Amino acid sequence: MTQKISRRSVLAGGAALLSYAAFAPHAFSQETRLRLLWWGSQTRADRTNKVSELFKTANPGVAINGEFLGWSDYWPRLATQVAGGNAPDVIQMDYRYIVEYARRGALAPLDSYLGSVLKVEDFDQVQIKGGSVDGKLYGISLGANSTAMMVNTVAFEEAGVDLPTPSTTWDELARMGLEITKAGKRKGYYGLSDGSGVEPLLENWLRQRGKALFTADGKIAYDANDGAEWFAMWQKMREDKACVPADIQALDQFNIETSPLSLGKAATSYAHSNQLVGYQAINKDKIVLSSHALISKDAKGGHYRKPSMFFSVSAKTSDPELGAKYVNFFVKDPEAAKILGVERGVPESASVREALAPSLDDLGRAALEYVSGLGALAGDLPPPPPSGAGEAELALRRVAEQVAFGQLDAKQGGETLVDEVTQILSRG
Amino acid sequence: MTDAIMSSVTAPPSAPLGRRGPLGSVLVHAGLIAASIAMLYPLLWMISASVRPEDEIFASTSLWPSSIDVASYLRGWFGLDVSFGRFFWNSLVVAVLTVIGNVVACSLAAYAFARLRFAGRNFWFAIMLGTLMIPYHVTLIPQYVLFLNLGWVNTFLPLVVPKFLASDAFFIFLMVQFFRGIPRELDEAAMMDGCGPWRIYWKIMVPLSLPVLATAAIFSFIWTWDDFFGPLIYLNDMNTYTIQLGLRTFVDSSSTSDWGGLFAMSTLSLVPVFFFFLFFQRLLIEGIATTGMKR
Amino acid sequence: MAAVQDSAVVVGGGVQARPAAQGRWASIWAKHGAGYMFLLPWLIGFFGLTLGPAIASLYLSFTSFDLIRAPEWVGTANYVRIATADPKFAAAMQVTFLYVVLSVPFKLSFALLVAILLDRGVRGLTVYRAIFYLPSLLGGSVAIAVLWRQLFAGDGLINSLLAQFGIEGPSWISHPNYAIWTLVVLSVWQFGSPMIIFLAGLRQIPTDMYEAASLDGASKFRQFYKITLPLLTPVIFFNAVVQTIDAFKAFTPAFIISGGTGGPINSTLFYTLYLYQEAFGNFRMGYASALAWILVLIIALFTAFSFLTSRYWVHYDD
Repeated sequence: MTQKISRRSVLAGGAALLSYAAFAPHAFSQETRLRLLWWGSQTRADRTNKVSELFKTANPGVAINGEFLGWSDYWPRLATQVAGGNAPDVIQMDYRYIVEYARRGALAPLDSYLGSVLKVEDFDQVQIKGGSVDGKLYGISLGANSTAMMVNTVAFEEAGVDLPTPSTTWDELARMGLEITKAGKRKGYYGLSDGSGVEPLLENWLRQRGKALFTADGKIAYDANDGAEWFAMWQKMREDKACVPADIQALDQFNIETSPLSLGKAATSYAHSNQLVGYQAINKDKIVLSSHALISKDAKGGHYRKPSMFFSVSAKTSDPELGAKYVNFFVKDPEAAKILGVERGVPESASVREALAPSLDDLGRAALEYVSGLGALAGDLPPPPPSGAGEAELALRRVAEQVAFGQLDAKQGGETLVDEVTQILSRG
Repeated sequence: MTDAIMSSVTAPPSAPLGRRGPLGSVLVHAGLIAASIAMLYPLLWMISASVRPEDEIFASTSLWPSSIDVASYLRGWFGLDVSFGRFFWNSLVVAVLTVIGNVVACSLAAYAFARLRFAGRNFWFAIMLGTLMIPYHVTLIPQYVLFLNLGWVNTFLPLVVPKFLASDAFFIFLMVQFFRGIPRELDEAAMMDGCGPWRIYWKIMVPLSLPVLATAAIFSFIWTWDDFFGPLIYLNDMNTYTIQLGLRTFVDSSSTSDWGGLFAMSTLSLVPVFFFFLFFQRLLIEGIATTGMKR
Repeated sequence: MAAVQDSAVVVGGGVQARPAAQGRWASIWAKHGAGYMFLLPWLIGFFGLTLGPAIASLYLSFTSFDLIRAPEWVGTANYVRIATADPKFAAAMQVTFLYVVLSVPFKLSFALLVAILLDRGVRGLTVYRAIFYLPSLLGGSVAIAVLWRQLFAGDGLINSLLAQFGIEGPSWISHPNYAIWTLVVLSVWQFGSPMIIFLAGLRQIPTDMYEAASLDGASKFRQFYKITLPLLTPVIFFNAVVQTIDAFKAFTPAFIISGGTGGPINSTLFYTLYLYQEAFGNFRMGYASALAWILVLIIALFTAFSFLTSRYWVHYDD
């Protein structure tokens, strides 16, 4: 370190003094250091850091460095650190990326710690499986969520339309949208967001038809007809003005602040249940969660409880057991659970869930009740998305826009989509 | 001798040229003021967004907030694990060092390219321009590995040291163009007097090109202040974050974001750059006196 | 690159008469030493920091590299795919060329116009200059992304203004036919940097040349055409070259405004944004590196061409 400082002084001359504080090396210590990286907001960081403090108290001699970033900045930093051989010890993982990182050997398999360090017996075993890739466990779910429709209750009331229920069908939802648009209570306001490019929504619809996005061996699991019908359904809603027109929908970058709901253009939006808090924060009107519409009255729902995010342990960490220990503390310790709440999703441990319920605020309880109340609407967890799924999602979005802007008709849209996704998946 | 040259070239600036009639003047100012409004609008909008209720920022298109609350400034400043003052300080350190590095190292290289003869000059010039063309995304990982092996990750060194090694070809090229505009008679006269290249650089080039050096200083400061990707990759510990990283920390589009805090701190973050600009733009004007030279 | 080298060699009557050298090495040092001494920091930086990563990325462009596992040599496969089987490459090229062709001339003429207006003894020059630089201070911040959506959305400020003239505008920023224009406007609006460089260039023009011309009875327009413009050509040339390079490499505007997607329908898929998606979104750093080197080649050809033509219109005093 001293060498570094002298080099710097030469280079920076008088400015060296100015920069001293910033360059000063971290205090040298004998502690075992655990580096953590996650995406999220300061709220999540506050909770995570408190849990880390608890862990340190319970495990003297361990120092924990937590780093966090917003979702879009998180992935390039993680990729660079992993590529550079400087991966953090404990990594927050998304369902979308766990296959990409696990198959390439960036994550440590955790199977050998099950039962000894990782005491996740009372977890929903399906959710444990959700963290598995090729038969090995690479991530422990930090909470479950499910896709949901965000509903602006005030806009529905103003138009005199009843809120959607778990048994609402797509036909009924389209009619509700139409009525809200027609009521014209707000300027340039429509009933529904256009969900034709929203992959989780398409997945829900496909599952109701007994299909899926991807097969277990990473191939496309629907055909051009499914695609064409999907696009045709939305085309009709667009023409009827039940949902927003193409150029309003295209403002949506599939995040909270750019959704037509938050922009004050539509009374619904399609997101995940744990995002309710984020939606409510920037919306004046009361927002509630609703399950997705059904393809027919007797259809089985297409929902599933999805691990909202995982903690994984880096394959390069010097002490994988310590990493696993931290993860176990994070998902099992009752004190930790109280601090974490449902901010990352509904806890997977039944005992933690029960302990938690009384201490939740309204939005937290709404999210918990939504996920645990899905009942028959929720089916099996699909296999983790294959390599290339991220690209396939962008392709859906683009083809949906091509249909919405009239560059393709619904039939061509279905064919193009299936062609492109097939190609993307075969390239891997 | 060089002093004599200096005084002979600093003829007093003449009266501003291109005087217009009163009508022309009014028209010009009307145009400039209209343009100013278009330039100021975003600032006003940002200030407005920083004090309005959060549930109004995205849905409302009006500039006027329905109510005003400056709590976002306090929340933004103190709300993160590390106070925003720390980010200001970090950005200031990196930016000031970058300014020094760029101005010194790039002017040296530019002087060599513009005035000195040496074998391979044109080759190196072409290579230097070539470095301007590579998209940084693909050299990022090899560079990260390099800095990691040097033990520089999580310090300011990867952001600052390259600047002292003239890594920013933009400024070299800029200075070359301006150095070439300085009459060669001046160096030749100095050379006759026995001045070596160092004295010519220091006594003629630097004083006569203050406007372009000031320009380089302004751009270096502002671009460093705005830089996001470099800090994102190289600074991991929040204590080392720069302002742009701090600002991005307010926003997580997948969960909750502190938009009020973001816009409040974005507004505050403009204050130092603006003052830096105001201070250094005086040097742009002082250039007049030194450039009104006879040929 | 020969052209680049040639035109950089415009060396006027150099005075290189030196006393007879003491020895061969001494004479070589005397002749070339000073140049390399001044270039030393840059050379250290180039060999120490720039060259290695550049060669590494060139090597990676011939491999399949997923960021995590070791790169695997694939020969020219990446380049072949780009040339023959990548519709997104073509789309990104088209968007990028359109952006270069639209944004650079508009931005430069606007910057030059304002610089000339401000240079000619306008009262309050410093205030205007500071205000006009303001948009460039905002850079590519998140604030700009939100603001631009509000300005150019269907019910945004721009359409409210157009409505005064009875024009009903579309949602500019989210329409595939117009989205690129909002990015061009953003680029022109941030015209501060070339403006400052033009101003610095104008300051370098000796005032007595205008006085002499005035005495000769030359009109303002003639003065501009005969004095200002020729003497400003090195600066115009500089701005044109670097703005073109910048526009080819533009990333941030499209990234923040389209949320990294390049949408709607790839209408803002800048070349570097596509490259970024491939590298960090799809784990294809090898392919992205090949894309990058093709871009370098294109930019280099453009720049070489500029330098080649510059000898016919750029007026250096040396």
